[in-house]
Amino acid sequence: MGDILGLVAKRLGLGLVTLLVVSVLIFFAVELLPGDIAQAVLGQMATEETLAKLREEMGLERPAVVRYLDWLAGAVTGDFGTSLIDGEPVTAKIADRFVSTLFLAAYAAVIAVPFAIALGIVVALLRNSIFDRVANVVTLTSISSPEFFLGYILILYLAVKWSMFPAIASLSSGMTFLELLERTFLPALTLVLVVTAHMMRMTRAAIINLLASPYIEMARLKGAPPWKVIVRHALPNAWAPIINVVALNLAYLVTGVVLVEVVFVYPGIGQLLVDAVAKRDFPIVQACCLIFAATFILLNLAADVGAILTNPRLRHPK
Amino acid sequence: MSMFVIGYYAALIAASCIAAYFQNRKAFMLLFSLTLVSFVLGIVGGVPALRGVTIFAGVLALAAGTSYAFREFLIQVSSPAVAKELRTAPLTAAFGMFVIFTYAIAGIFAPWIAPFGQSEVIASAFEPPNETMLLGADQLGRDMFSRIIYGARNSVGLALVATVLAFLIGALAGLYSAVKGGWLDQLSGRVADVIMSVPSLIFALLILSIFGTKLWVIVLVVAIIYSPRVFRLTRAVAGSVVVMDYVEAAKVRGEGDWHLIRKEILPNSTAPLIAEFGLEFCFVFLLIAGLSFLGLGIQPPTADWGSMVRENATLISFGDITPLIPAAAIALLTVAVNFVVDWMLFRSSGLKEQ
Repeated sequence: MGDILGLVAKRLGLGLVTLLVVSVLIFFAVELLPGDIAQAVLGQMATEETLAKLREEMGLERPAVVRYLDWLAGAVTGDFGTSLIDGEPVTAKIADRFVSTLFLAAYAAVIAVPFAIALGIVVALLRNSIFDRVANVVTLTSISSPEFFLGYILILYLAVKWSMFPAIASLSSGMTFLELLERTFLPALTLVLVVTAHMMRMTRAAIINLLASPYIEMARLKGAPPWKVIVRHALPNAWAPIINVVALNLAYLVTGVVLVEVVFVYPGIGQLLVDAVAKRDFPIVQACCLIFAATFILLNLAADVGAILTNPRLRHPK
Repeated sequence: MSMFVIGYYAALIAASCIAAYFQNRKAFMLLFSLTLVSFVLGIVGGVPALRGVTIFAGVLALAAGTSYAFREFLIQVSSPAVAKELRTAPLTAAFGMFVIFTYAIAGIFAPWIAPFGQSEVIASAFEPPNETMLLGADQLGRDMFSRIIYGARNSVGLALVATVLAFLIGALAGLYSAVKGGWLDQLSGRVADVIMSVPSLIFALLILSIFGTKLWVIVLVVAIIYSPRVFRLTRAVAGSVVVMDYVEAAKVRGEGDWHLIRKEILPNSTAPLIAEFGLEFCFVFLLIAGLSFLGLGIQPPTADWGSMVRENATLISFGDITPLIPAAAIALLTVAVNFVVDWMLFRSSGLKEQ
């Protein structure tokens, strides 16, 4: 058991270091700005006095390292500073939207994960049949399409032509959970389509890889029934790749969600980020980037830790 | 029961019988299951559903025929060695090559193919299609068809430049790390790890918010974001070549690093790198399309598929599919490249899945 804990601890430490490096990257990227933030806010026409005043207000005269530590301490305690445009605290703007985005991602994940893994296993077992070939072409097409293409196709058919679901995912406070599910169905479905395709392909590859290994062949040769080969021999070793696939695709959802939110005008953090980038509201950009990057890193970390924890060889050392 | 429905089932059943007679099991199963599915579809969706199936099958047959003819054409015009390889290409790969070829023609000869200039206002906003405008006008009254043709030049061109740059950075760093080893290898490995640990779209948005949406910024950022993938692959491939005896011999002979890379390692690691170039292009293309869609890519009035989708998106709420055409153009090219890459990977790995 000591081995496993050591490995997990090492991986967690590495993840923490990565997160720190990325936070440095996000903070100091803004330092690369031609001029500085005060200049960017006030524009080229600003007088020296107003610039100096704003610099003092924002604490820009302090060295960058001190400001970084300040920012990081704030970020850890949930304080991301104030918006450059309207002076409101960033955290207040982000909090609700972050919950909405998490809800959308979770909604998509709950549908996509079981569906994709089941289909992936079926396709792997039926490999090289017509069904497999068709699935290959369909998933490849789905992966290759930009998210907004799928989103608009769904809007065109499910919302405009057949009016089954609302095209715009507007949320209001007094909605019941069922209404919420209906309103956000199309954005969730778009994400499901993209992620399912990825997950199916990866599951298929993982399972085929596994079924080609010598001990499975051995089990077959000794005459074990097919279901027993799958359940007793293949599955214990399949957990690691499957957990990996799930976590990687959830991480993929994080990026996909930005485009989907814009297509469906969904009030989430991705849309906030895109708006902030256009308006060059750096505290919001930094906060959103940090949140997205942290989620991404955490999910990748979860994939690795999951793979370690479910590895039979590590769990039952000789 | 219209004539169409009778003809539809007669054709399907006749085709199934012919397949069964020639003992082509796969074709028979496909055709006969299609017949059975059609019963259900016909009951649920009526004649329109059956018509849909017919059109779909027709398009599929047309695509297959075109791919077949195009493959034959390529085999005829290329040298015997290349022709031998091409004969092994599946129809999907041939289809991919055909699409890439078409896009290349459209991109290179855009000014001659397109009837109007890309920023030429010739009609009122959102004018429906007529004889002069094949696909109607966009939100400013510019010819949609011309802009899509020009988009092949701008969008694909930009993605191509960014991919080449990503490849130069990644492959050079990878080859150099493999030859040199030591701290340089370690350092570039860690840098690649950090870049890959941030989601690509988020990274691009961060940098674009700082430097603004200038073309060179986009190209550079996208190239940097995707170079670690190339770096890792090149490093791995070159790493296994570097330990070969002939490289050792070249080293002992006193050849420089550059000679080692160019003459010894590169010729022995091209196959996976070419396939990676295709994959990389897809990623870059989709990322740039996403950025343009968000209004942060190629700036107007230059025609670009991603931004065209967004600018005309309002039409969708009226049930018009025009805004989907540029999006479909993006998807089609990515699918095509993926088909070709699939075949290349299959060929270079030499593996035949059982």
